Amino acid sequence: MANEVDETMKRIQSHKGVVGTIVVNSEGVPIKSTLDNTTTVQYAGLISSLADKARSVVRDLDPSNDLTFLRIRSKKHEIMVAPDKEFILIVVQNPTD
Amino acid sequence: MRRGVFRILVDMEASCPPGILPHGLPQVKEVQPAITAVEQEQKKEEAKEVRELSEEEKQMIILSEDFQHFMDRAGRIMERALCESVDIYTDYTGILGEEGLDEKCHQRISLNRHFFDERWSRNRTVTSLDWSPQFPELLLASYNNNEESPNDPDGVVLVWNTKFKKSTPEYIFHCQSAVLSATFARFHPNLILGGTYSGQIVLWDNRVQKRTPIQRTPLSASAHTHPVYCMSVVGTQNAHNLISISTDGRLCSWSLDMLGQPQEILDLHRMQSKPVAVTCLDFPHSDVNNFVVGSEEGAAYSACRHGAKAGITDTYDGHQGPVTGISVNGVQGGIDFSHMFLTSSIDWTIKLWSLKDSKPIYSFEDNGDYVLDVKWSPTHPALFAAVDGSGRLDLWNLNQDTEVPAASITVEGNPALNKVSWTPSGLHVTVGDNQGKIWVYDVAESFAHPRHDDWNKFLYTTQELRNNQVDEELEKLNYSVSSTSVTSMSSLTSTPLR
Repeated sequence: MANEVDETMKRIQSHKGVVGTIVVNSEGVPIKSTLDNTTTVQYAGLISSLADKARSVVRDLDPSNDLTFLRIRSKKHEIMVAPDKEFILIVVQNPTD
Repeated sequence: MRRGVFRILVDMEASCPPGILPHGLPQVKEVQPAITAVEQEQKKEEAKEVRELSEEEKQMIILSEDFQHFMDRAGRIMERALCESVDIYTDYTGILGEEGLDEKCHQRISLNRHFFDERWSRNRTVTSLDWSPQFPELLLASYNNNEESPNDPDGVVLVWNTKFKKSTPEYIFHCQSAVLSATFARFHPNLILGGTYSGQIVLWDNRVQKRTPIQRTPLSASAHTHPVYCMSVVGTQNAHNLISISTDGRLCSWSLDMLGQPQEILDLHRMQSKPVAVTCLDFPHSDVNNFVVGSEEGAAYSACRHGAKAGITDTYDGHQGPVTGISVNGVQGGIDFSHMFLTSSIDWTIKLWSLKDSKPIYSFEDNGDYVLDVKWSPTHPALFAAVDGSGRLDLWNLNQDTEVPAASITVEGNPALNKVSWTPSGLHVTVGDNQGKIWVYDVAESFAHPRHDDWNKFLYTTQELRNNQVDEELEKLNYSVSSTSVTSMSSLTSTPLR
């Protein structure tokens, strides 16, 4: 079973342009990562608080709504965030092919 | 916690001079508890401290079912998002890119993409292709065993998604025995059925976090004990069956609710009770009783499941080698052509038949290798696709030409192409080769869509083909008659001389 998790991580990581993949729990603590420790902790903390904020924005606008996906385009990277109740999947990629 | 405590102050002196009570009710205010400087420091520390998880704790989370579910779901979504290659910053005021568009428009058939998985499909022959009736973008493919890796499961079934540009399969399933045929369970969007080399029918469910079958039929004399090369789900939402035929000629019909034993068994025999080694099967559109099968001995048969003479009804002899593919014309429209069917064979030919005639209407002899599969277009009455062992994919439009294919393309690397399948829209053709690759080709719309007169034209074409055949036979007859008469004449003339 853990094997399939690794397989999924590997598959995502093998996509062209993917720089790193991180899974964090709801408190922003990294569980799995392909990046080095400092970068992981930094991304985990910042992105999870941003995702929390984004979720509360969506919920405040419409209490029956919920956040499902978050994409952040910047000049250098694109950060894609798939939030869930307990975990958050973060993928960082270079948008230029 | 202190935060939950509210102090209530009764303010009496606010606006009145001392000694005089204010009129009205006393005002009640909520006042936060007093916070000392020490407390504030403590709070800050609490917020800052992000507890790191130990390796063991991490492993515990990773092994939890919740986490598995999350990874499966989020991974799927993330992959789709990653493959969205649309550049939202496209600037049309800029310079135009290369002009590759024009060229593509004029081609009748062009490569769209291919599906291949290094781990699961390499070195495996594609044994069947099927499309989901509920989600037309999902393609089901079954694979034979990989001889180079004996430790992997023999049978593999992958579900590919043609909608997203991601290159990995949507679902991966496997089982112990090589899967020779697979089909979506038509009225159950989550279930996938596989017919195996061992003779077992296996059932997978994509709602279960499991790659192995959740159900399988028994290996006993009451069901199949020979390889199952063909299966089909027939019927309606409320009354449907899975029909499977093994190479010993046994047909089983199953209820999907009960795979413990078949509902019906029918043994397909030729004359003198010789079993028919069935290699391929097709049902006419919305027919549940009558069907056609192709066999290893080279003959095609029509048969029926029920009635007084259940079993083989007619024989269509013509091929010199095993029949590899069979397809009944299933296009709905003005004229019904459901009696027309095609067979492909190891003998390098494709033959066009009518159920009403035991001789082929026509034989297509343009291929220089085994013809391994043939399929009518689901939308155009006179269009069909065929694949052969030299990597050639041919599209024949009988209203345009019956001597040579209307469009032909050779797959890169010349692999033997084992299966061909049309998308339900008739705008794409997919072919599966013997190395585990599936190739998706686009068919030009003008070519794939029939014109309103194509039905009448096809009727005319088949009539013409029949007439030609009769003429040829007559000629042959005449020739043999004339030659025998000549010999007899000569013998006649010669005898009196003696």
